[in-house]
Amino acid sequence: MKLYPVKLLTITCEILAQKNIIEILSKHKITGYTTYEVSGSGARGLRSEGLTNEKNVKIEIILREEKLQDVVEEVSRTLFANFAVVLYVSDVGVLRTEKF
Amino acid sequence: MDILQLIQSNLLTPIVLFFLFGIIAARIKSDLKIPQAISEFLPIYLLAAIGLHGGIQMRTTGFENMLVPMLVAIALSLLFTLNHYQILRKLGKFNIFDSYALASTYGAVGAVTFSVGLSFLKNQGVTSEGYLAAVLAVLEPVAFILAIFLTNMAVSKQINAKKQSFTTDSKSDIDVGLNETKVKLSKILRESVTGKAIVILLGSIVIGYIIGKEGFGPIKIVFDDLFTGAIVIFMIEMGIIAGQRLDDLKKVGIFLISFSIIMPTFNGIIGVVVATLMGLSMGGSVMFGLLLASASFIAAPAVLRNAIPQANPSLYITSALGITFPYNIIVLLPIMFAVSSLLHDPEGSIDLFRYSLKDLI
Repeated sequence: MKLYPVKLLTITCEILAQKNIIEILSKHKITGYTTYEVSGSGARGLRSEGLTNEKNVKIEIILREEKLQDVVEEVSRTLFANFAVVLYVSDVGVLRTEKF
Repeated sequence: MDILQLIQSNLLTPIVLFFLFGIIAARIKSDLKIPQAISEFLPIYLLAAIGLHGGIQMRTTGFENMLVPMLVAIALSLLFTLNHYQILRKLGKFNIFDSYALASTYGAVGAVTFSVGLSFLKNQGVTSEGYLAAVLAVLEPVAFILAIFLTNMAVSKQINAKKQSFTTDSKSDIDVGLNETKVKLSKILRESVTGKAIVILLGSIVIGYIIGKEGFGPIKIVFDDLFTGAIVIFMIEMGIIAGQRLDDLKKVGIFLISFSIIMPTFNGIIGVVVATLMGLSMGGSVMFGLLLASASFIAAPAVLRNAIPQANPSLYITSALGITFPYNIIVLLPIMFAVSSLLHDPEGSIDLFRYSLKDLI
């Protein structure tokens, strides 16, 4: 089995920032991502109790390293100041590299 | 007739008691909570019921009386939003983003508050004009649109000022920024008009208008008889959320706390007086006042978080939900009811007293 190295970008953010992130992704021609609603606690306190708009969401994007730089730059420039966002990057291996 | 007594008897209604119960449950850190699907469903249900009711009544009363109150409501809402901004910015020393966000939260309407008002009137056996549901729908985006527009203007002005200080290159970046602002505004306009609250409300008004009283018969049990009960369930949820936010009150500060009590009172009483002058019924004037007094806490975060992300959401959510909402439904609603009945019938006394006695005995 041959695994091809790509990057996994994981963004945990408040649900109201989800749209902005997905817009950034589509701007960079990234069509694949996975989101799930999550809860937790962070610098902006306990998230996700009560109103739906206060929930957190976790977005996972597998992408090639070339695009990673631009996406991360744009997310941090446009969202870090005003939204609860945490993002991290990990190395993963995929079977079908042409999909990303 | 004693306003205090009115407030007291209003305290003992299931809606208020369950709200207070929700707060207590949150304070003792109980794990009680309303399942998420239900707490998302209930606002939609309430809006559908309000809309159907309004639509059915509009069929009998017609549209012609609707135009003036609607335009007056829009004008007042815009005026109040600007007024809030001046107060928050000048007296409260809030930054421009927080000021606009708070100003529009208090200029906007609260659909839940409106539901509570309807059920309050229903309890008193007082009716209100059906077209107020349409006014609710139209008012929903108005204050936000104004605030977002003005915030964008202010930001563009700042960007332009910066642009002048950089004389030569790096202009392209700034132009892109300006364009982004414009695109954002039109997108937000579209989103707030097609938002779920307005869509379900307008849709139900139209359906209510089409089906009329006869068509409403088979669904009456769900959309009329269950209405107050559904609010009660929602009130548990509202109480829990408000209770969880009580600690944030310290961060909100004394100025904003007084603002979120004084402004609704001022706006609401003006609303009742203006509505009376326009010839609305006793109940209609209360609802009109409530529309102007209420603050938005379900729609506001969703709209403002994207439109004015720089504003601190805990300020506007906490003050609207933690202070203004309970104040409106517990204290201000009976006050406006008293004012309205005084204005409509200076000689008569208020029925609420009799109602509460009847309830107690």
